[in-house]
Amino acid sequence: MLKHDVVVIGGGLAGASAALEARARGADVAIVTKLHPARSHSVAAMGGINAALEEGDSWEGHAFDTVKGSDYLADQDATEIVCKLAKETVLRLDHWGTPFSRNEAGKMANRPFGGMGMPRAYFAGDRTGLALMQTSLEQLFKEKATVYEEYMAVDLIVHQNTFHGVVALNVRTGEIVEVAAKAGVVCTGPAGRTYSNTTNALTCTGDGLAMVYRAGGALKDMEFVQFHPTTLHGPNVLITEAARGDGGILLNAKGERFMTKYAPKLLDLAPRDITSRAIQTEVNEGRGHPGGYVDLDLTMMGEARIRERLPEVWEFAEKFAGVNPAKQPIPIEPGQHYIMGGIATDSQGATTIQGLWAAGECACVSVHGANRLGGNALLECLVYGKITGANAGEYAKKQPGASGTTGAGQLAEKKIDRLLKTAGGENAELLKREMGTAMTAGVGVFRDEAGMMAALTAVREIKKRYRNVSVGDSGKQFNYALMEALEVENLIDLAETIASAALLRQESRGAHSRIDHPKRDDAAWLKHSIAHRRGDEIQITYEPVRITMFEPKERTY
Amino acid sequence: MSKVKIFRFDPAKDKKPHLQVWDQEVPKGKTVLDILQDIHYFRDPTLAYRRSCNSAICGSCGMRINGQARLACNTQASAMVTEFGELRIEPLGNLKPIKDLVVDMGPFWKSITDVRPFLQHQGKAPAGIYPVTKAQMDFTKIARDCIFCGSCLSDCTSREANPDYLGPAALAKAFKFAGDVRDDATKSRLAMYSQPNGIWDCDTCLYCNEVCPMGVKPMDAILHMREMAIEEGLVHTQGARHALAFYDTVMKGGKVNEAFTAVNSLGRKMVNGNVARIFMMGGLTGKRPTVFKHKLTGMAEVRKLRRLVEEEQKVKVHG
Repeated sequence: MLKHDVVVIGGGLAGASAALEARARGADVAIVTKLHPARSHSVAAMGGINAALEEGDSWEGHAFDTVKGSDYLADQDATEIVCKLAKETVLRLDHWGTPFSRNEAGKMANRPFGGMGMPRAYFAGDRTGLALMQTSLEQLFKEKATVYEEYMAVDLIVHQNTFHGVVALNVRTGEIVEVAAKAGVVCTGPAGRTYSNTTNALTCTGDGLAMVYRAGGALKDMEFVQFHPTTLHGPNVLITEAARGDGGILLNAKGERFMTKYAPKLLDLAPRDITSRAIQTEVNEGRGHPGGYVDLDLTMMGEARIRERLPEVWEFAEKFAGVNPAKQPIPIEPGQHYIMGGIATDSQGATTIQGLWAAGECACVSVHGANRLGGNALLECLVYGKITGANAGEYAKKQPGASGTTGAGQLAEKKIDRLLKTAGGENAELLKREMGTAMTAGVGVFRDEAGMMAALTAVREIKKRYRNVSVGDSGKQFNYALMEALEVENLIDLAETIASAALLRQESRGAHSRIDHPKRDDAAWLKHSIAHRRGDEIQITYEPVRITMFEPKERTY
Repeated sequence: MSKVKIFRFDPAKDKKPHLQVWDQEVPKGKTVLDILQDIHYFRDPTLAYRRSCNSAICGSCGMRINGQARLACNTQASAMVTEFGELRIEPLGNLKPIKDLVVDMGPFWKSITDVRPFLQHQGKAPAGIYPVTKAQMDFTKIARDCIFCGSCLSDCTSREANPDYLGPAALAKAFKFAGDVRDDATKSRLAMYSQPNGIWDCDTCLYCNEVCPMGVKPMDAILHMREMAIEEGLVHTQGARHALAFYDTVMKGGKVNEAFTAVNSLGRKMVNGNVARIFMMGGLTGKRPTVFKHKLTGMAEVRKLRRLVEEEQKVKVHG
């Protein structure tokens, strides 16, 4: 058994920040990650990180745009914290050596992003996530932080709603290991693989959310799923919003700049929910290209500027779509990109389980409400990673005695043993694909009762079939088939909560857009959904939104 | 159907690795990762390989594909079959395979951490951002986009010859800081990187630049650091002396004079028996270049070029 004061699950931007801060507070910290921190999905964030650094800008302006973007579902105390700390966060990373792009005057260069009143997205080319993750990794190296890499967290150890550690599978050896800790921070990132058309990594399987859910913790606002407007048609590789921030425009098959209809003021830089719906409407009404896509035109930027500011877009267009973006438009379609929902936390990042915090995409604080604005995710990871690391570190220091567990690893061992011994059963990958297709069709950009019900029924059927899943590899070392089976179990639980919460919410707000309930309904639905597991059932209750600064208004752009 | 050959090794069962041959559909549009997934999901779940983002940014799926290190997720499989007649997938080179295509990345990360890969700033950080010009920030651009996929190390000929050589990824990382005006440890870094197994051990074969899927140019970074080391007066390492000896002999006579460069590189006392023997053997086989060379015409032009280059360098480094 391994013992630490604090265990951080996940080694991405939030996890690294949490570990560094808990360590700075004098706690003995370990990161448990199923990858290597450098492989975390934070590296895939492209366009920027928001902060009000320019003259004439203010954290209040940033907060207002974020709250309006959230369709007023954000908890405004949390949004305030993130926006107030944005400046010092960007400075901290600059001082750690992040190569933020500079302009000719030697100041940090910025670009406009969707839904923002002024340009406040700071960047390193279009590889901002990679640059920030590298810097965070460098700090982990500097501090000689303990990292259990390629250890997949399987279950949390929770007794009487108090956190005691995590059970992990050592992927390299196949051993089940208990990591005992007085405090924990869950930073396991996205759950996009619940959908078939996602920009998320193959490993973004919501492990942290599912573990908290199984352990009796609460999930919040799971119905709010962001579809990024511009993913490559087909493989759904992300084409950053920065492409439009730097001048790119959207055109339908007739060559019309259709965003003039949907967002007359912000045009192509409308928030993501609005832009995705606009594209989907164009396609649904027959103004897309055959196969269902529209064009992202960057040709006016010219080759030199695209290569300088958007090198990754250039690579992706060339390698994955065979398109020269200086000469031809890029074929794009909306794709699942982000979950606004997640592990329910208070404005300090504390979950409903004693001694356990959550930060980053897996958490729902909620900074982003019903729709996240581009450039706010990296910021949230860094801000709340640090806050939760501080809270977990201080909490652990106050707990008497050593960390200890009570053989919870045996349960995980039994589960894994059963998976390994089932022969000739269901193929986990096929179940995942069926689930993803059902979710994309029924709980996608546009939703209605019948579609969501069909998706939920399909997911529940798949959940039953999962009980007879077989792994097909009984080996110990690097048994990826086993990992994947465990991941699919997590995904199924989450798909069920997403579809259930979506079905219940009878309004349209942010990314949750219902054809059968097209209006926002503040009187009935200005509230967060909270999902708990009760036996084999989901129980959904509601909590009020914390409104401290901005009264809800109609949202137009 | 195409032939797909995959390196297999299960430490629990196999004494030696082998190539397993699959007859597999390789349709246009599928990447090498797609092909591996098709086999892993539906034909042989035991096949092991690392993968994550599927967007060429996480660096998990570096492997040798038809003899060259590439990312599986952004390499078109049918293009490989068209070019080579088959798809051959092996683990990264210069690292130990643990299971199938999974290698032990430990030595890779060891090299990275060995170069002190973090900003070292003396004194207090400024109240605002560091003042850095665009040109200064862009100086390290060639080294910054590393995704730690291991492709460069896999195909590095110097690492193959010397497993202790830090290798291209680590030295690119080193340059990220040595070339950053926010870092205050430039001289001690360059001194450290000038030690044996550092910047002077690169054979400049260029493979690292060529195989990097992110456009990082480790070899250029290494050459920059050699220049910077000499500028900093770090001229007493064997590598620096060798470079300077080349430079001197060319500037004096217009040609490389191997006899003098050997003596100047190693130092008179250090010309040991081996070097002398190689030199004598060269003489006996008639392959030794002559010690005394004819003076070349046009040396004035060469020296003028040198002056111009030096002027330009000054502007670049100090401007």
